[in-house]
Amino acid sequence: MRSPSYLPCTLLGRRRLEGVEPAALGPEGLWLCRGTPALEMSNAREKKHAKKMRNQPTNVTLSSGFGAVDERGVKHHNGNEKSFQYQKQESHSGAPQHQQPKSTHVPSEPCMNEQPCKSQCRGEKGKGQAGWRGGHQGAAREIPKYITASTFAQARAAEVNAMLKAVTQKSSNSLVFQTLPRHMRRRAMSHNVKRLPRRLREIAQKEAEKTEHQKKEHSKNKCRKARRCHLNLLLEFNRRQKKNVWLETHIWHAKRFHMVKKWGYCLGESPTVKSYRASYRAMTKHCLLQDLSYYCCLELNGKEEEILKALARMCSIDTGLTFAAVHCLSGKRQGSLVLYRADKYPEEMLGPITFIWKPEGGTSTTPVNRKLWLWTHPTLKQDILTELKLVCQCVQPPEAAASIPEVVLTPHEEKSHIKQTENCKKRKRESDGEKNTNPVKKIVGDGTRNPFQPYSWTSSTTGIVVSDFTMEMNRYRLIGPLSHSILTEALKTASVYTEVEDAETVPHSWWVEACKNPDSVSVHHRQEAFFELLGGIASPAEFPAGTVLGLTVGDPRVNLPQKKAKALPSLEKCQDNEKVRQLRLEGVPVECAHSFIWNQDICKSVTENKISEKELNQMRSELMVPGSQLNLGHRESKIPILLIQQPGKVTGEDRLGWGSGWDVLLPKGWGMAFWIPFIYRGARVGGLKEALIHSRYKGAPSIPDDFPDCPAGILFAREQENNLLEKYKRHPPAKRPNYVKHGTLSPFRCPWGQLTRDWESRITTRAESLVSPSCSWANVKSDPGREDLCVVEDEQESKLSCEAETLKDKPGEPEEMMDTDSPGAAVAGDTTGEGVCGNDSGGTKGTFCVLRSRKLLKLLAAWCHPVARRNRVAIQASRMYQQQELTRATCLPILRDYPRSLVWVSLSLLKKGNPELHTMICIPSKDDILLLNEDRLYGGPQESRHSDPFKAKARKQKEKKTEKEQKQGGQHCAIVCAEGTPGLWPGSLPDITGHCSRTLLGFVTQGDFSLAAGCGEALGFVSLTGLLEMLLSQPADKRGLVLLRTPASLQYRFARIIIDI
Amino acid sequence: MAENGETWGASEAELDPVEYTLRKRLPHRLPRRPNDIYVNMKTDFKAQLARCQKLLEGGGGGRGQGGCPEIYIHGLGLAINRAINIALQLQASSFGALQVAANTSTVELVDELEPETNTREPLTRTRNNSAIHIRVFRVTPK
Repeated sequence: MRSPSYLPCTLLGRRRLEGVEPAALGPEGLWLCRGTPALEMSNAREKKHAKKMRNQPTNVTLSSGFGAVDERGVKHHNGNEKSFQYQKQESHSGAPQHQQPKSTHVPSEPCMNEQPCKSQCRGEKGKGQAGWRGGHQGAAREIPKYITASTFAQARAAEVNAMLKAVTQKSSNSLVFQTLPRHMRRRAMSHNVKRLPRRLREIAQKEAEKTEHQKKEHSKNKCRKARRCHLNLLLEFNRRQKKNVWLETHIWHAKRFHMVKKWGYCLGESPTVKSYRASYRAMTKHCLLQDLSYYCCLELNGKEEEILKALARMCSIDTGLTFAAVHCLSGKRQGSLVLYRADKYPEEMLGPITFIWKPEGGTSTTPVNRKLWLWTHPTLKQDILTELKLVCQCVQPPEAAASIPEVVLTPHEEKSHIKQTENCKKRKRESDGEKNTNPVKKIVGDGTRNPFQPYSWTSSTTGIVVSDFTMEMNRYRLIGPLSHSILTEALKTASVYTEVEDAETVPHSWWVEACKNPDSVSVHHRQEAFFELLGGIASPAEFPAGTVLGLTVGDPRVNLPQKKAKALPSLEKCQDNEKVRQLRLEGVPVECAHSFIWNQDICKSVTENKISEKELNQMRSELMVPGSQLNLGHRESKIPILLIQQPGKVTGEDRLGWGSGWDVLLPKGWGMAFWIPFIYRGARVGGLKEALIHSRYKGAPSIPDDFPDCPAGILFAREQENNLLEKYKRHPPAKRPNYVKHGTLSPFRCPWGQLTRDWESRITTRAESLVSPSCSWANVKSDPGREDLCVVEDEQESKLSCEAETLKDKPGEPEEMMDTDSPGAAVAGDTTGEGVCGNDSGGTKGTFCVLRSRKLLKLLAAWCHPVARRNRVAIQASRMYQQQELTRATCLPILRDYPRSLVWVSLSLLKKGNPELHTMICIPSKDDILLLNEDRLYGGPQESRHSDPFKAKARKQKEKKTEKEQKQGGQHCAIVCAEGTPGLWPGSLPDITGHCSRTLLGFVTQGDFSLAAGCGEALGFVSLTGLLEMLLSQPADKRGLVLLRTPASLQYRFARIIIDI
Repeated sequence: MAENGETWGASEAELDPVEYTLRKRLPHRLPRRPNDIYVNMKTDFKAQLARCQKLLEGGGGGRGQGGCPEIYIHGLGLAINRAINIALQLQASSFGALQVAANTSTVELVDELEPETNTREPLTRTRNNSAIHIRVFRVTPK
């Protein structure tokens, strides 16, 4: 601030002319009038002013801005009021009296009273600028003659209050100690209040309490010891698994895995240790263990013919063997198929399942009633279950169901296997008076199941009972060649009771009963013999696919080794050649597929009679020789299990049998008892990610990712899109790919419906435009220029139309997008997603389906092979199948029958390239193939960079908006923001097939560098129409060559299409 | 893990391909010792040769100093040639320190015929293929 003595004389003179006393020019006013032209107050300053005024009472005004001008103009007549105004301003401008310039004085003002005069003078000083400005209006300023003490004091009081309020109330979000200047800060201030200046301690204390409250309100009320006490822990665990079901191995997994909540379960995603390559090696050379207990089992119980009749409506022989296949029906093999909505094939797919028939008990049970287990993925269960009920005409739950739910929820596990806390501590607490009348039960099975909801439905007309066995069994999957030795070492077949005993006294009465029956004993011995033979077979792939072997084993915890050691196959076991040969050729006979696990009552009793871990350890500690084998005698549990061989890669030519293994089905409650022994024999554990890798290397579609035509797949795609979009939005636009420039229309989802539709329209428009019979198509095809022209035209058209569309859509569409994109919507998607999905599927279901007819797929597979001199196999195969040649004529009926279909293909990169999710599969142009022919190292063509019209448009709009804002003064900020995410294609997509220089054929759903093949490999879907079109146009020795381009790259890479069947 | 490059048998014409799909199973084999090498036609020849040399010389680091005194090279079907080739190369490059001893055998291969119709049982067929097992061992110079 400068004193008025430096005032330029011109200004002073002017002031004098206007009749304003120089004394009125306070330093502030002066500075103001010199610094910035006060009339054009900038926006920022206005905001600042508003901020300053926030905590002020309404009757108080600060001495800045033009507000004062008006005030003065209005209140100008009332001297009294005016003086108040000045007083107030004075108090805020806060210029101390001694700063009053000496060179100025009050020459003309008649001073009646000393006090008011002084204050007035000060007021004038603060108000100088306004006064000066007021001079323009031609009104000379008058000084009030008197003031009233009471009003004056009131006003002061209000000011003081406002000031106090402003001081005490902190406006920022920071904590108290953070507002301190740096030199006053001390170490550990946030922890120790006493390090703060005393005046701030109180506030800091409050803050500290508040945050502590926010952080942990639970559990701190108890000390850690109390929290970890078994009973409380159990309560806590039970509470936590109310929402999402825990598998029995949950705790084990939670300590070692990244857990995710998926499909209503808590599942291990992948191990926390680095294990990508190690898990692959385990699958290939050793053994990988997975807990698949989250898979759902549905049981159908009824007459064989009735079940078959009902289920025949849901599947088709076209897609492969059905429920009625002889070897599956007998119960000796597991089958797998794809279910459709009743009578809707090939549309409205429900999902893939595996199934086992219970082998017909030749012994005592009535041979009429059969049991069938369907194993489904949890995402598919609900759809399949409702459809099953519909097909079997089941409506009301049977009478028995009323009692069965009790089995599930009312703790039927009344006895031994529950970890009742009966140690002394608990008793002590009871004596303390705590209520522990009903001991807490460990939840075994499904903790979320509603006890009153029926889970079994019967049909009066067909007599079929459909029951839901979710979480009633454990399913473990062992993958890899060492799974045989792990199984044979970990499991020991149960010993048979030879002496006849009273069934009542022994806990395992069912086994005593079974041992009395010579038939079942002989079956047991045969099973035992086969099981022993397993150890002599090097790989599960040597068995017939889907072999089922039932077993009854002893408690695997008894012969747990002291140390973890890898189980290796022993040479001695491999000597028994003739039997092994028989086993490999024939598989396990039907009798041996029988297992007591089919009997619910036995399972229940087995679950109940499990010796708890604690008891077992107690007995171990009481052994005479520490560390020796525990012999439980008759108390040892006998557990019925079922072993099911899982064929690995059966299709294709290389890596046959890769990833084969065994599934083990156990009754519930026994999960950990089998889990640990497997791990102690050297099995490595994998999670969901490893399962995905397994299915990818096998070339099998994974559930529900790769079933875009089933409801679960649609839902999955939606969720995935939301997740990816959110992730994308987290990056600033400069740090993320601009997909519009890359020519990627939908980087986060695969628009299957539109792809098939576009291909269909492409074909029809071309046919119409040519107005010639189909035979002349070949001519057109041979003419490269015309085709390209056509494509170019398409492109231009589509671009035009799309622009028009986007222009139209601009106001409405983006907002919608924002809605669905927001994380809140993604979370709420579970509730609303159903409806949306329903709408969507209603639209898409009519539009596309996945081709699953084996005959057609075989035909396509043969056509995709390049016909070269070396590929003898393909030629031979085609001759053998007496196949049709690939011509227009043969393609037409296929196109007519399946106008909008997708084909599941696997792709292997020829050279470089690493395919990702949603990589685009494109048709190479003729030049590309020529270049590849010339140069063997040719990497692939490049897409030219696209322009981003939306960016420029957005910029323009923004500019316009800002102009408008300046005119109108804000308010429209919210509307400006409602623009699509920059870098993504807003609104509806144009013709996706012809958007880029290479025609789009399909998308990759799974792709990565394959450790098994040593090059990039991908799995995905292509449009059937497009595929045929491509194959027709390609030369015979280069058939099946495609280009792949990842969404965020312009580089195309060559790959070969293979259809495995 | 297709260690075999076996060719197709000649007698395929008897079965109707419309009714059955042919699936080849893995050949039966004994548990693998560390000094067993199964030769295939897919891996690069040089790589397989290098693997054998590494085993014999023990240069791999993890296997101790001397390496294996003997290794077994197995070849099945089409890979017999290559197995022999590898063994001879090893012997030639060793300046007489290595000797080879070959054994031949017949391996039974199982083909599974998966039915295409519900009424048929799956069938298995066996066919034979020749295999060679070459023992490459170190001889101590006298």
